[in-house]
Amino acid sequence: MVSPNPRFRYLTDRERVLGPLMLAPAVLYIIGLVGFPFLLSIAFSLSDVTVGDTSLDFVGLQNFRSIVRAPEFRRGLVNTVGFTLVAQLIILVLANILALVLSQNFRGKWLARTLLILPWATPVALGTLGWLWLLDSKFSPIDWVLVQLGLLGPNTLLGPGNHMNFLAREQLAMASVVAVQVWRLLPLATVILSAGLSSIDQELLDQAQVDGASFWRTLFQVKLPLIAPIMSISLLFSFIFIFSDLVVVFVLTRGGPVYYTMVLPVWAYFKGITGGSLAEGAAIALFLFPVLMAAAILILRTARRMEVA
Amino acid sequence: MAIVEISGLKKEFGEVPAVNGVDLSIRQGELLVILGPSGCGKTTLMRLIAGLEQPTEGQISIAGQDVTDRPPRAREVAMVFQSYALYPHMTVFKNIAFPLKAQGRFTKGEIEEKVRWAAGVLGIEKLLDRKPRQLSGGERQRVALCRAMVKEPSVLLLDEPLSNLDAKLRASARDELQRFQRRLGITTIFVTHDQIEAMGLGDRIAVMLAGQVRQIGTPEQIYHNSGDTFVATFLGSPGMNLLDRGDYTLGFRPEHFHPSRGQRDTNGEAEFSYRVSRVENLGADTLLYGTVDGASEETTVIARIPSTMNLPVEIGASNHFMVQSEHLRFFDKRTGKRTDPRPW
Repeated sequence: MVSPNPRFRYLTDRERVLGPLMLAPAVLYIIGLVGFPFLLSIAFSLSDVTVGDTSLDFVGLQNFRSIVRAPEFRRGLVNTVGFTLVAQLIILVLANILALVLSQNFRGKWLARTLLILPWATPVALGTLGWLWLLDSKFSPIDWVLVQLGLLGPNTLLGPGNHMNFLAREQLAMASVVAVQVWRLLPLATVILSAGLSSIDQELLDQAQVDGASFWRTLFQVKLPLIAPIMSISLLFSFIFIFSDLVVVFVLTRGGPVYYTMVLPVWAYFKGITGGSLAEGAAIALFLFPVLMAAAILILRTARRMEVA
Repeated sequence: MAIVEISGLKKEFGEVPAVNGVDLSIRQGELLVILGPSGCGKTTLMRLIAGLEQPTEGQISIAGQDVTDRPPRAREVAMVFQSYALYPHMTVFKNIAFPLKAQGRFTKGEIEEKVRWAAGVLGIEKLLDRKPRQLSGGERQRVALCRAMVKEPSVLLLDEPLSNLDAKLRASARDELQRFQRRLGITTIFVTHDQIEAMGLGDRIAVMLAGQVRQIGTPEQIYHNSGDTFVATFLGSPGMNLLDRGDYTLGFRPEHFHPSRGQRDTNGEAEFSYRVSRVENLGADTLLYGTVDGASEETTVIARIPSTMNLPVEIGASNHFMVQSEHLRFFDKRTGKRTDPRPW
C-alpha cells in the first residue's frame, strides 16, 4: 500500500526518526519500571510513610540515622559485602578451571556442558528450595552421606550428632548461602569465560608453545590477560547479582539463625513490607545503590582500559 | 651437515593424509623454501617440525637428536606465523623477552642484553616500548622475527611471513630477510605458495603437492630442469607450455618460444606454426596467447617476448615460431615424470 502523503512515505528510512522510534519502548520501560520507583524510594526514604499512613511527611535523614544504629544493619552490610566477595572469588577460580576443561575435547563434553548450565536454567527460587531440602536439619541427604562415609556421628571428625544442622549454625549457614550463590552463578561465569577463551587466536597459543611456555606461563601470561576484559564483565554481572540478591537468603535462612546471615535486600523487605515501615525499607534499599553504581563504573572502566591497551 | 632430518613423515587428519611420506634433509645454515599450492601440506609439514602436530608415522631429528615425541619447547625451534602472533597485551620488549623468560635460565640483565642485541640486528630499538597495535605491518614482521631469533634456535621456521605485507614492502622485506639470514647463518625453513618469493630467497626449494615433495633442488634446477609436469607448470608465470605428442609430453617455457627469423643454429630447433589469438602487454614483456598446429585447439600455448623486440606477429594468422632444442623438455605421458629427449 502506498501512503497517500509522500512526505511521510519515507519517514522510517530516516535514521533520525527511526532511531528514537525504535528506542522509545525500551526508554519508556526503564523510566516506568526503574526510574519512577527509584525516585519514589528516595521520596519514601526521606519521609515517615508506613503501610498504615501513606502521607509523605518530610523527616530529613532520620530514617537513615535509625537504620544505621540497628545491629541488623551492620551485620547485613558486612554480610552483603562479605558474601559477594567470597562467592565472587570462588566463582572466579572455579569458572576459570571449568572453562579451561571445557575448551578441551573429551568424550561426553556436551553432557558436561548441559549439566553445567542447568543451575542457570533453573529459577533461583526453585533451585534454592532444592538446597533448602539438601541442607535440612533432619532429612539432609548430605548428612546421610557424611554418616555413611564415617565423617559424621559419634566418635567421628565432624562431631557426635548425626546432623550437621547446616542452616542453624552461624558459620555453616553463612557458608551455605555462599555455596548456593556460587552454584547458581557459576554457569554464567563459565559460559562467559569459555567464550573469551575460544576467542583467543589459535596462532597465539601455538606461538606460546613454540616460545617454550609451560602450561602455567601460558595460562597466566597469555590466556588470562587476554580474557581479562571479558572476565571483568563476568565479575560485574555476578557482583550485581549477588549483591542485590533477595531470593537465596530469603528462601534458605530468612536471615537466620538470629540475624547472622542477614543481607540488606532481605532486611529491607522485612522492614518495609513485612514490618510495614516503607520509609525505613526504602532507606535500606537505597544504601545498595551507590555501591552498585560505583562497582559498575569501576569495572566497566577497567574493561575499557584493558581493551584499548 | 644436516641439521634437520625428516624421514617417512606422515600426518593424517582422520582419513585424509595432509603429509604423505616426506623425506627431507636440511643443511646447516641454508635457507630451504617449501613451495606449493594451498592445501598441499606445507604448513602441516612446518607444524610437524615445530612439534605443534604429532606425526602419524615417521621421524624428525633436529641437531642430531630424535625429537619426534618431544613438545615444541624441547626442540630448539623458533617459528614466525603468518599473522606474526604478537602478544597484543605485551610491549615489543616483553614480546621479544617472552621466549627467554620461558627458558628460565637467564637473569634479568642477560634478558635485557639479548633483547637489545636482537632489536639492534633488526633495527627496532625504538619500538621496544610500543604495543603491537601501534606498529605497521613491516614493523610487526620484524618484531616477530626478532622474537624468533632471540633464543638462537637451531632452526627458524617461517610460515608465509611476507604474505601480510603489501606488494611493494614485500620486495624489500624479502631482501632484508635474506641478508639477515645470511648474516646470522641461521638454518631457515620458509613456507610459501609464492614462487617468486621461493625463487628469490631459497638456497634450495622443495616443491610440494598433495602431501609429497615432488622435487627438491636449487631454484635453477627446479626451474630449468623440472622433474615433472606439475613442477614445470607450477613454476614460472606463466608456467611451462605442455603439448601432447602421442606417447609423450613436450614442454617448453614461454620465454623460449620465439618468432623464427629464418636463422638456424647447429643445435637445431623445433618449429611451430603459431596462431595468436590474444596479446597481453605487461610493460617489460608481452604475452601472446594462441594455439599451435599439431596440438589440440584447447591447448593454449603462451609466448613471452621482451617488449624491446619488435613484434612481427599477426593476430589470427599463422606465424612461424621456434624453440631451440636445448630448451625442449620431455615428460612421460602417464606418470608426468621427466624423460630423456626424443626426436620430435
